[in-house]
Amino acid sequence: MLEVSRSLKPPFDDEFQRSAALDQLNASIEHASHLLPAQGPITVFIHHNTLHAFEDLPFPEAVKRAAHVFGCNPYLSEDQYREALRSGRIRFAELKQVLHRDLGERADESIPCFGTRLDLLLAMLHDPLRTGPSEELVWFVAEANALRRIRPEASAAARARLIAETRRWVIRDLRGGGDPGEAPARGAKTQARAPQSLKELLDRFGGSTIENWTDDAWESFALQSLWRVCCDGVRDLPIFAVPPAGPIRHRDLLLEATGEDADLLVNGLLMRFVAAFLDQGLAPSEMPLRNEGFCRAFYGLYGQPAGSPDRWLRGLPEELRRLTDRRISPLESIFESLEALGVPSDEWDDFLSATFLPLRGWGGMLRQIEIRGDRAVHPVPPGSLVEFLAIRLLLDRFAAAHVARQAMDFKGPLAELRSALHERLGRHRQPTVEQRAFLVFQLAQVVGLSPDMLQRLDQPAWSKIVREIEAFNGLERRRVFHMAYERRLTTQGLDAISIHAPPRRGRPTAPAFQIACCLDEREESFRRHLEELAPSVETFGAAGFYSLAMYYRGAADAHFTPLCPVIIRPQHWVVEEVGNGHEQAHHRRAKTRRALGLASHRLHRGTRTLASGAVLTGAAGVLATFPLVARILFPRLAARIRKTLGHIVQPPPVTRLHIEFEERAGGGPDDGHVGFTVDEMTLAAERLLRDMGFTSGFARLVLLLGHGSNSLNNPYNSAYNCGACGGSAGGPNARAMAHILNDTRIREGLARRGIELPSETVFVGGMHNTCNETVTFSDLDQLPPSHREEFQQAQRSIEAACDRNAHERCRRFMSAPLTLSFHAARQHVEGRSEDLAQTRPELGHATNALTIVGRREWTRGLFLDRRAFLTSYDPTQDDDEQGILTRILQAVFPVCAGINLEYYFSRVDNSGFGSGTKLPHNLASLLGVMDGAASDLRTGLPWQMVEIHEPVRSLFIIETTPEAMLRIMDRNEGIGRLCRNGWIQLALLHPESRQVSVFHDGAFELYEAQASALPKAASSVDWYRGWRDHLEFSQIDAGADQASQPNSH
Amino acid sequence: MPDTQQLLFALGIVVVGSPLLLTCILGLSSLASRKLSEEATTRLGHVTIACGLAASIAILLIMLAVDKRHIVVELGNWVVIPDEYHFSVKFVFDRLSVPLAILSYVLSGTIGAFASQYMHREPGFNRFFVLYAIFVLGMVVTSLAGTIETLFTGWELVGLSSVLLVAFYQERPAPPRNALWIWCVYRISDAALLLAAVVMHHLSGEGDFDRLLGSGAWPDEVSSLEPRQALLVGALLLVAAAGKSGLAPFSGWLPRAMEGPTPSSAVFYGALSVHLGAFLLLRVSPLLDLSIWLSVAVATLGLLTAIFAHLAGSVQTDIKSALSFASVAQVGVIVTEIGLGFRYLPLFHLLGHACLRTLQFVRAPTLLQDYGTLENAIGDRLPRVGAPLGRLGVERYRLWLYRWSLERGYLDSLLTEYVVFPFARAFRWCNRMERRWTDLLSHGPSRESDQVQSHFGEFEELP
Repeated sequence: MLEVSRSLKPPFDDEFQRSAALDQLNASIEHASHLLPAQGPITVFIHHNTLHAFEDLPFPEAVKRAAHVFGCNPYLSEDQYREALRSGRIRFAELKQVLHRDLGERADESIPCFGTRLDLLLAMLHDPLRTGPSEELVWFVAEANALRRIRPEASAAARARLIAETRRWVIRDLRGGGDPGEAPARGAKTQARAPQSLKELLDRFGGSTIENWTDDAWESFALQSLWRVCCDGVRDLPIFAVPPAGPIRHRDLLLEATGEDADLLVNGLLMRFVAAFLDQGLAPSEMPLRNEGFCRAFYGLYGQPAGSPDRWLRGLPEELRRLTDRRISPLESIFESLEALGVPSDEWDDFLSATFLPLRGWGGMLRQIEIRGDRAVHPVPPGSLVEFLAIRLLLDRFAAAHVARQAMDFKGPLAELRSALHERLGRHRQPTVEQRAFLVFQLAQVVGLSPDMLQRLDQPAWSKIVREIEAFNGLERRRVFHMAYERRLTTQGLDAISIHAPPRRGRPTAPAFQIACCLDEREESFRRHLEELAPSVETFGAAGFYSLAMYYRGAADAHFTPLCPVIIRPQHWVVEEVGNGHEQAHHRRAKTRRALGLASHRLHRGTRTLASGAVLTGAAGVLATFPLVARILFPRLAARIRKTLGHIVQPPPVTRLHIEFEERAGGGPDDGHVGFTVDEMTLAAERLLRDMGFTSGFARLVLLLGHGSNSLNNPYNSAYNCGACGGSAGGPNARAMAHILNDTRIREGLARRGIELPSETVFVGGMHNTCNETVTFSDLDQLPPSHREEFQQAQRSIEAACDRNAHERCRRFMSAPLTLSFHAARQHVEGRSEDLAQTRPELGHATNALTIVGRREWTRGLFLDRRAFLTSYDPTQDDDEQGILTRILQAVFPVCAGINLEYYFSRVDNSGFGSGTKLPHNLASLLGVMDGAASDLRTGLPWQMVEIHEPVRSLFIIETTPEAMLRIMDRNEGIGRLCRNGWIQLALLHPESRQVSVFHDGAFELYEAQASALPKAASSVDWYRGWRDHLEFSQIDAGADQASQPNSH
Repeated sequence: MPDTQQLLFALGIVVVGSPLLLTCILGLSSLASRKLSEEATTRLGHVTIACGLAASIAILLIMLAVDKRHIVVELGNWVVIPDEYHFSVKFVFDRLSVPLAILSYVLSGTIGAFASQYMHREPGFNRFFVLYAIFVLGMVVTSLAGTIETLFTGWELVGLSSVLLVAFYQERPAPPRNALWIWCVYRISDAALLLAAVVMHHLSGEGDFDRLLGSGAWPDEVSSLEPRQALLVGALLLVAAAGKSGLAPFSGWLPRAMEGPTPSSAVFYGALSVHLGAFLLLRVSPLLDLSIWLSVAVATLGLLTAIFAHLAGSVQTDIKSALSFASVAQVGVIVTEIGLGFRYLPLFHLLGHACLRTLQFVRAPTLLQDYGTLENAIGDRLPRVGAPLGRLGVERYRLWLYRWSLERGYLDSLLTEYVVFPFARAFRWCNRMERRWTDLLSHGPSRESDQVQSHFGEFEELP
């Protein structure tokens, strides 16, 4: 016993060495765990940068690293970019520009035969370069048309040149060389140059009948000689590009060597176990020993004798018993496993990262629930992630040993498995002659380079060409393509602002009413339509939690929901109460709801149990046909019936928010620490108004709108809600803020702080449902009679704006005809939100591309195609230190960049960074979704959400001076990092001169508009009507008599 | 009344013909690379399914009106070897087949409508609906089959389309892998059914059910077989039913079938094809009446399955697995009822269960919202009601049982270990023997393929 344990125990000489090693191990685990996705439970979906862990690197470098670590695509595919080039979405001139700028001085260096470096690289971008394994290339060259027909991509001129020059060369040199009697001197020279292989080729084609060769024969000869010359040219070149490091996990090497996947065994077991461990209440039975921690639960369950008959798990119970008996901690067990697997400490970082990644979704969720236990119903004990890793490595050991034994009869110690595998695999990652030659071969054809010219090159020249071609690999080409792809949109956005912003329009005087919406880009069109319908309206944009961070519980809600950005933990609890004599009705209805709820819960569970299930399904199952058929075939009707029935048990319409602080014992929601003090309310109100630059010119009616979305059969519902409210609907925040602003005490406080709210100004809070496009208002019973008329007028404008907004949204839904009327469009979106079969209830943040912070006056009247986050900010009211801008940007940067980058990565690699198609998704543990029966937890966004998104980094346009912005970037590490490392694109609009400057390489450069004017249209509808695709930004001017022709790019 | 007879014949042809038409149009247009548009496919699906449904309801009404319990639509003998064998295609409308046909139409019609929305813009839209059409055809043919050959045809169509739908997302490795598992289970079940057909022919000279099961209308036929013969045929059919309905020890395939898009999981495995085994047992129920041992076997298998699936279902942490085990549990109960000698009860249970489960499957992704609504109504977290394992007193047994349930009774492991491995080993042995023999004959290594180094890793790597 002692012998066994000694051989397995880490060989620490003393306690000090031991703790040092464990510390290092801890650091490695911490390092590796940062790669795990940071997505929390799907019920509160927070958008964040998928590659948050790499933010301290410049964007191109970061995505390259991440691509290697995760094995995902960091950009769209080359074919997609080339398609964009064909359709005009990328312009060749801009491609050339960005490449030139990217290369700098190196652009004009000359490359033998190909002109300058810029020419060569552009040629590589222009036409696809194929490659493949040597065998495939040999087959392709031998069997397909590669040696008979010049690539179709080659231009007619290049093709003609290639053939003509080959012809001249053959007749002049090659053939002449074969007949030294006629021209001895030249012939001897050629003899030296033309290798034997070309001679053979000529003989094979029939050198004597050369005058009678057909055009096809010439083409074929040109290609065959070209191919031979290319092969000869690259044959003895050294390797230039460092091949990427090979896999280091035993499983990866085993898979490559034997085709057997050890992870199939481990993942199958571990997915089930982690899901059960994390389960938030989906399974009726809870995992026993769950509360004792991951390892203890695993030891308890899998240490039982007479368990699974699986061969690979033989010996596991004994091993688990040893770990328990000897009280080996999870960290020590990890150490043991690494030892046993033969992983030296300098490989720990990479090895542990690679070990986490196969189940990164589950691992990430474990980590999230561990560190943010407040966001889960059943939190997990600290240290769970380390324990998860310990179990994973333990199982990896068993699986690797099993597979090695089964598939390659390996019986040695596990520590030597990797070297055995390396030996077996050999290293054949270097490019072969065919692979290298094929690239040159393809390029020569499109450039029209004859074999003659290539054949005359010496080895240094060949080196130079091949080195250049290989350095500009697929990833580099996609990076350049991507810059050009972004450039088009950036130019459009900056042009739009440069042209539209300078005229000073000022704020509307005597507005009919004012309205504030969330900064969400989905509100851009809503605000635009409202402004078009009621030109005197003034609109604002602010983070949708309206400066009120609170836990909220509605009258019919069971729990408090945090309504604020996820970085804030609210300190205030607000409840909705039923008042004014409705209490009794409320209690009665609450009781009914509870009884109905319990009954339906029992029913729901009942159908999944044996006896009651039998009774239920047998007796009443057929009745399920009615809801089934009704909800699928007539979703809107079914919804209306449900709503009517639901009204019976809904809380009475008259409710109040309990916002104000009350002195009661203790803290926390249940003890009555409810609400804000008057001072806190005043501060929040002041902050909101100052942020929006809305401190004067109040209309008689001011509306505040939160937003949310509801849809059925959609685990991602929360991702459509307000991001500033932590993935919940933001109606209560708007309602509470309106209530606060109506309070005379607050107004007095505000007046003392320099904001005079006229007594006739009334605030009304409401909520905009971005899915079914409805706006509902709260506390209307408190609206003074004097304002009723105005309110009704405002409501009519808003209803009309909703119709039009629905109409504009419908242009992007392929299943909505383009000929819908406003009213029909509204019905269409209502139907979408109630349809069980609808996988795209709305399109969420798809297509977002701009983030604008500044006064509305310079974006008003600009058609931004629902692509711009709009935050109101007035630089003239800010202090010298830009305190207001700083706090706005502190919220805007993480939220907007987070949304944009999550959409970016989910779009460029939907199956890697995103969660793939929604259709086979399967809700697991009430925390997230899996693909089908069992898989890793899928994080990121599904295809249906990002389908129409254009992956571009958001262009931030901020109304401030370069000095101020640089100061903010210096003082706020997070903001500075995103800007300097290029995770966003940054431009400024000068508040005074209204000139646009662009951030580039650490400094701001003045921007000159490329276009002289923007297209104009009389109304948004005129501009977008009939178009499905992205639209150019345009000026909406009611005075413009006719819309210029829209152009989809 | 010859007119009624002709009318019924015509309606019967419509019932079977409309899904056949759908399959032909969708399938042939795909084969000819002229895929129909989403709208055309949807409309065609609606029309054909509605026709089939209307015709089957009409048949039901006529049957009720003229009080006929057994209607046969004969399409003649397709192969005849005089005195030896005949292959006849025959459809039977009776109290068993008509409800099942109507159920198939209602559920697949609804799910067809659901899927035409749900699968909108999915690259495999057309493929999905081709397989869907084959599935509906298979279901209808199986329910109405009057001979075992006809039944086998439908049975195979259902199996084939189901497996291809499980492997719908063929670009990921897991769906094809799970589909292959299901395919293997289905083949075992098919083999048993085929053997049963052979035995039936041996016993009664033809595959027609009415010869085997005796005259009379379901469920009152009286078979003239001997109990031992009935036991033999019945046991084979029980194996066939167990494979198709996911009874123990084959239950592991049902959760694996959840790889496809939600609508196919819902209607095919949750509701329709999982009941085919029970239907088969109902179809041959006169055999059960003959042999008490057969009945006992059926009831026991059903009961074991139900208990197993209930335990496994109570610890599943994803909604689709939970629902599929709930389905298996109810199918187990239905089979038990059949074994206990009930006839109409299991039929009614089957119909109800299929409808309810389809609704639940279709709504599965909305579970989070449903739970939210329920919690709000109750005003508290949802209670974790009576965990079935919690009542077992001894901790060790509780742990063991929890793990047993979590690992789905080790059924798949057992099959792998004790069926797949020995099977593979036997064939590898045969392979070795054959190689030895060929090497001997060719005086040296006889297989060129041995020299080729197989390649497993990815071909194209990220640069």
